Amino acid sequence: MKHLLLYGLGGLLLGGIIHIAAILLVPDFATRDAWTSLGRLGPDGAFHLLPANAPVTKPLTDLDPAMAHAACRFTLEEGPIRIRATMPEEFWSLAVFDRRGSNVYSLNDRTAERSDIDLVIATPLQMAKLRENPLAALDRAIVIELPLERGFVLIRAFVPNPTLAPATEAALGAADCQASLTAPGNGSGTAGS
Amino acid sequence: MRLLINLLVAIAIAVIVGLGSAWLVLDRERIFGAVTRGAWTAWPELGSPNADPYSRAELARSGALPLGDGEGIAFVADTDDSGAALTARCSYFINGQTPAARLWTLTVTDKNGNLFETPAHRSGFHAREILRREDGSFAIALAGDPQPGNWLPVTGSGPLRLTLRLYDTPLTSSGIGEATLPAIARRSCR
Repeated sequence: MKHLLLYGLGGLLLGGIIHIAAILLVPDFATRDAWTSLGRLGPDGAFHLLPANAPVTKPLTDLDPAMAHAACRFTLEEGPIRIRATMPEEFWSLAVFDRRGSNVYSLNDRTAERSDIDLVIATPLQMAKLRENPLAALDRAIVIELPLERGFVLIRAFVPNPTLAPATEAALGAADCQASLTAPGNGSGTAGS
Repeated sequence: MRLLINLLVAIAIAVIVGLGSAWLVLDRERIFGAVTRGAWTAWPELGSPNADPYSRAELARSGALPLGDGEGIAFVADTDDSGAALTARCSYFINGQTPAARLWTLTVTDKNGNLFETPAHRSGFHAREILRREDGSFAIALAGDPQPGNWLPVTGSGPLRLTLRLYDTPLTSSGIGEATLPAIARRSCR
């Protein structure tokens, strides 16, 4: 009897270890996480419109039906990436997520102080190189340093009423996730306008 | 023989307790890092890189895309102010003002986040379209039957969830503090 109690106690302790291991391993084995779901929308390195959150379709949970969404999975293994988009004059926000779906960077149209998106994401090493040889074309771009190999960008754009949805979706659809680093920035000649 | 049986019992206990508790914790609502104001709850840490392991596991399982600090914050309400669960069998008044934000949206869904298919094609209100009183406050009638003013229609008789998303709000940097959120009062039930 005493023995059985001891084994039971041992079982409980081992159970605690299994509990911790299971919780820590869930993100590695999840099949419905954001990264995997976004991968079903199309190839990496390009923006894909997320189907509108409607009663019939619901691709990802937690999306605001008053917003249009586009996402792009990227890798920084081949160099920094540059994201460019011309957005409508409405609220938009942009978030960078890591492979696990954690939000590592975010901004909105007011904090970006402009209505178009021109964002460069670089690893610390790539950033050091960019600092050594600054590219004139990135003068007006927002350059952020993130210790990522892979991740995804999500743009949310406010659609005040359904008639404006096509224009917003067109703007999101035209967003470029692999813009050239040397292409001149928007309005670089008309700075201060 | 005795030893083998004891070992098997111990291992069985370990697996059942370990995996069972993990599953139970993840199947429940997010429990850590919740900030509650009245009927509304927000998880400011959700999706941030320093979130706890339970939140990370939950996030991976749900595939949610939480708002970042630079975007805004979302509040969720599953109950009214008295603590009774929101249900489509009852009608409610959502009354008051939202904390300072450049834009807000209020959405009604079922417990799993699915929108309702209503004849009015409305699943929520946002800051630009809502009818307000002179002092800037508003009242939304959440009900199955048409209501005057801001009517938020629902169908069926299941549980409801309200999500208030505040975009570009000082709450994400200064903390939620004493933020006052709209009151949710039950009117009548069928």
